[in-house]
Amino acid sequence: MTSQHLSLFSRRNALKAASSGFGYLAFAAIADEQARAAARGPLAPKDPHFPARAKRVIFLSMRGAPSHVDTFDYKPQLTKDHGKAGKYGGTRGAMLLKSPWEFNQHGKSGLWISELFPGLAKHADDLCLLRSMQTDQPNHPQATLQMHTGSFQFVRPSLGSWSLYGLGTENSNLPGFVTLNPFGSAQNYGSSFLPAIYQGSKISAAARRPFGNRGRRGGDDSLKIPNIKSEHLNPEQQRIYLDYVQSLNKNTLDKNVHQPGVEGIIESYELAFRMQDSLPEQVDLSGESQETLDLYGIGKTNTDAFGKQCLLARRFVESGVRFVEITHSSGWDHHRNLKNDMEKNCAEIDRPVAGLLADLKRRDMLKDTLVIWAGEFGRTPHGQGGDGRDHNNKGYTTWMAGGGVKGGFSYGATDEHGYEAVENKMHIHDWHATIFHLLGLDHQKLTYNYAGRDFRLTDVHGYVAKEILS
Amino acid sequence: MRLSVFSISVFSISLLHAQDAPLTQEQLAFFESKIRPVLADACYECHSNEGGRVKGGLALDTREALFLGGDSGDAVVPGHPDDSLLWAAISYTDPDYEMPPKNRLDPAIVSDFKKWIEMGAPDPRVTEKIIVKSEIDIEKGREFWSFQKPKNPPVPEVEKPDWANNVIDYYILAKLEEKSMAPAVDASPETLVRRLYFDLIGLPPTPEQQVQFQKSWAENPHSALQSEVEKLLASPGYGERWGRHWLDVARYAESTGKETNMTYPHAWRYRDYVIDSFNEDKPYDRFIAEQIAGDLLPARDDVTWQENLIATGFLAMGTKGLNQESGHQFRMDVVDEQIDTMTQAILGLTVSCARCHDHKFDPVPTTDYYALAGIFLSSETFFGTVPNAQNKRSSDLLLLPVPDPFGEPMAEREIAALEERRASMRREMIELRQMRDSLTGNAAGDALQKALRMRNQQQIINAKLQGVDENGMPKTFAMGVQDGASPTDTNVLLRGEIDKPAQKVSRGFVQVLYHDEMPEIKSGSSGRRELAEWITSKENALTARVMANRVWLNLFGRGIVNSPDNFGTTGQAPTHPELLDYLAVRFMENGWSVKSLIREIVLSRTYRMSSDFNSKYYTMDPDNNYLWRANQRRLDAEAIRDTILAASGTLDRSRPRGSLIAEIGDARVGIRLNERDIDKPSEHRSVYLPVVRDALPEALALFDFAEPDVVRGSRESTNVPSQALYMMNNSFVTQQAKAMAEDLIAKYDSPRERIGAAFRRAYGRMPTSDEVESTMNFFREFFPASVASSDRAAAVRLTMATFCQGLFSSAEFRYLY
Repeated sequence: MTSQHLSLFSRRNALKAASSGFGYLAFAAIADEQARAAARGPLAPKDPHFPARAKRVIFLSMRGAPSHVDTFDYKPQLTKDHGKAGKYGGTRGAMLLKSPWEFNQHGKSGLWISELFPGLAKHADDLCLLRSMQTDQPNHPQATLQMHTGSFQFVRPSLGSWSLYGLGTENSNLPGFVTLNPFGSAQNYGSSFLPAIYQGSKISAAARRPFGNRGRRGGDDSLKIPNIKSEHLNPEQQRIYLDYVQSLNKNTLDKNVHQPGVEGIIESYELAFRMQDSLPEQVDLSGESQETLDLYGIGKTNTDAFGKQCLLARRFVESGVRFVEITHSSGWDHHRNLKNDMEKNCAEIDRPVAGLLADLKRRDMLKDTLVIWAGEFGRTPHGQGGDGRDHNNKGYTTWMAGGGVKGGFSYGATDEHGYEAVENKMHIHDWHATIFHLLGLDHQKLTYNYAGRDFRLTDVHGYVAKEILS
Repeated sequence: MRLSVFSISVFSISLLHAQDAPLTQEQLAFFESKIRPVLADACYECHSNEGGRVKGGLALDTREALFLGGDSGDAVVPGHPDDSLLWAAISYTDPDYEMPPKNRLDPAIVSDFKKWIEMGAPDPRVTEKIIVKSEIDIEKGREFWSFQKPKNPPVPEVEKPDWANNVIDYYILAKLEEKSMAPAVDASPETLVRRLYFDLIGLPPTPEQQVQFQKSWAENPHSALQSEVEKLLASPGYGERWGRHWLDVARYAESTGKETNMTYPHAWRYRDYVIDSFNEDKPYDRFIAEQIAGDLLPARDDVTWQENLIATGFLAMGTKGLNQESGHQFRMDVVDEQIDTMTQAILGLTVSCARCHDHKFDPVPTTDYYALAGIFLSSETFFGTVPNAQNKRSSDLLLLPVPDPFGEPMAEREIAALEERRASMRREMIELRQMRDSLTGNAAGDALQKALRMRNQQQIINAKLQGVDENGMPKTFAMGVQDGASPTDTNVLLRGEIDKPAQKVSRGFVQVLYHDEMPEIKSGSSGRRELAEWITSKENALTARVMANRVWLNLFGRGIVNSPDNFGTTGQAPTHPELLDYLAVRFMENGWSVKSLIREIVLSRTYRMSSDFNSKYYTMDPDNNYLWRANQRRLDAEAIRDTILAASGTLDRSRPRGSLIAEIGDARVGIRLNERDIDKPSEHRSVYLPVVRDALPEALALFDFAEPDVVRGSRESTNVPSQALYMMNNSFVTQQAKAMAEDLIAKYDSPRERIGAAFRRAYGRMPTSDEVESTMNFFREFFPASVASSDRAAAVRLTMATFCQGLFSSAEFRYLY
């Protein structure tokens, strides 16, 4: 490479910029954000748009839509009107169904939380309940997609990809967006039109029965990371092999100036090589103390699987990963067997989640780690078959903790029975805008130019609920 | 010739009946006193939009919804109680439709309903009559470049005509000269032949082919190139390569995707049809017509007819939301998917943006959308899948006229056993049903679950039994479309909502593309045939342009219009509009021959350019819009995998019969069928790997395969760590490296010969002396590190295998220059 070529772009930047394999520099003029990413390399840590408390996200995804009126949305009127016809339609013979569980006030804040979450209730003063959630579709896949990408119709980048695009990541030995044990479409963690480097790295984790009752034969507790280990070369051999590959690549690079693809390949091998060590180490829990394992409920039959995921999430964010999503996939779709299955599911997550909050707190990480708990929608106050609840996208509850949200706080409200959000409605777009705000990102400014249009996570929507900021 | 459709049930399309005459006092009183109260008391609970429950897709709380009917058909046919499912249901005449299910209505009420239907079902529940008006000025819209017919433009003057091989070069050179740029020098013959092979057949030239080509090149470059091109266009590999490009556009897949994700075991016939069509250079207009209306085209024999039917699979293999409760909604969604795919794939237009309102950017009014929707609603889509609790929307398949030559008969015993199992299940189901009412709580729930499971199993047995004739010979099926029973125009839907019908619109096409009068759609036909004629008409400004651009994109890595699926106002402007017109006109003049178009392009001087960098030009035109050099292109997933197989000598170039998914049959992906079952080892070309939505084989998914959810005219090319890990550690890669090493060891004696042969296979060139040296160094380093842990011969093999793996892993292997 001659000095004339060097003047075009610094080699180091070019190498970084090229890692997206997307001809980054070529697009640099398109949008501010793209230019920002291009200037410093797509994964380099970037300053947020404005100072913010949350530096990273742990997203606890509850597949199947947990009931809010049995967990975080206390509705005494529902109990009073139990057995009466609801005014909300519903299945034949379906009447309002009071929650089978007691609600009590917890913490200094006196937040109402059901007895299903005794462990989590101890963290009431850290929780910010969002009790007026709304989403567009009452169907699982569409609503799940919308929760992740803002759109239930189109292929769009996921929340984690946008976050990584906006903020970069702190650890070059690990992917910046990790999703453990995801369920459903890969679109939920896909980067869509954002460069592929921002897509979530899927790590199939420890759930023993990934398909709930249907079961998959021979599930085990070990983490599956495809192709993470060489079966035929020892580390020394592999390094010799890689050095050879990289020498071939450098020959290729020297033949022509500006080969972002080749530079991307060189980078990808080095990160991959580091990931072989860092990733298994990252997911190896043997170094954690018994006390910590107990804190998360690891080793206890019903909390082991999710406890491990929660602990892994902490380990990933601790190592500098920007966005970690974990999925509780036993299924919260309680059309029937509400009484038994809710108790079972809540018990599976109560201790692990409480443990996660406690662990983050004692490591002084809760203050800048945003923990989000959400299902794709909620459930109806009227019953279904006497011991179940139907889908409800008109009003439900999610919560956040840490990362600059008000603890012991409740935002918005549903009607007297918990059917529809009536106060401070928070549509999923508003939820996204608020999450971005907590991360220091302006949801209107974080755009990507694709097919001639500037796209953003919130499309043309999004209201930041500033009331929940601490 | 009559088409037999494999049919258990045929669903009919319920359309809104106009009922505009004012009601008499008597009619009004009758409805208000006898009908409305009963509907409200006995029906709304399960059948009302307002109440939120629309069981069986039927709502009765508005006049529109009532006349729309439900999934099973027309609820009310005015004047004809016997054709009205509502009356059948409440009179308990059909055991499948007894409504209300628990409290049978009083006979007097039932007879009131009969009387009411006989009166013409007068219904005063008038909602405001909706007329959807368009604000779009079509005439003005036609001024946009892509909506104007391509004209044969004058060949531009250039300063250096000697550079040009053919007309294409004049357009390219003129633009470069205008920008004060000059084309790059010619690529070396070895670079060029590698490029040509990958572009035309998706495989590298063998070492013998390389040597042969270089020899001919030395004698006469142009004729060497010419004869190589002819050879490649005649190779079956051509259809496998270019057919795959079309399969990206056609969002070809072997499962429904979305929430339920059931397999399409018969989809592969469409795949083979596409490959064959490219190989025989079927005129593109014919190719398109077959995919839209193959079932309606005349066919001289059963084989042609069969091919035409399979072609319509294009319209049937989109994603499907099988758990959709409402049959109407499902049909509208299927039609929307068809419109979306067809208009993007063929016209480069996003017409489905006009489903809910006028297109926001292009001159496509929402009425145009419903004009097209009427055509597809007048057709039926057959895609198969087995019904189950999560699949409420399965359909029949098309039974093909030619029996499967490879089909294996099902033994009589097996048929009997299946029938016996089905019968015993039926008995058990009846017992369950009888028990059901006495059970409560979870026991009732469990019984329900069991019944559901048994119903699923029964459906699978049904499908198996229906797949063979009385002699156990397998029937052959395909996915596709047929005209419906009563083709008719449809209503515009306000905001796309099925219960908000507005005015009816005549079936037709996209107006902005139609300069003369719309051709009439013959009564009694869906209009698909007319649609096929119109869309392939030379009057249509887009069809030829869009395809010419796709061909260009696949040869240069970048389209003249770089948004190949969007030629609308939000698409990208053409870099060389005159060239695009020239190619489009040539394409049509040459009888829509794709091979001729490819031939002309690859024999241009432009195609021969090297990819050498030029810093001055880079500053002026970083995206290489004006083609001052060839683009460096990463090989696509199929080419990477196929080249590994070719280099190792294990590639099986034969076409496998069917597909792994055909062997597996009907199944739900993610439940009984997981990625491990789908990602099986294979040595066939990658185009034959199973393409299951959301469960693609790793070798494809990791290297930016076109996700088959929507039309994908171009692929991404990323270089991410997961690909590096694949090359480093995946067993397919290491197995193939091992096979290649063993082959090299068997064929060549000296390390240097082996290195030379390996470079030829992997890169299509001989190694430089530096490369030989660095490879020898690798041997010297790697061998001692390996011999410690195994015997000498094994260490030699591992060293050689790892060297081969190194070549597979390298950037040069993955790139075209």
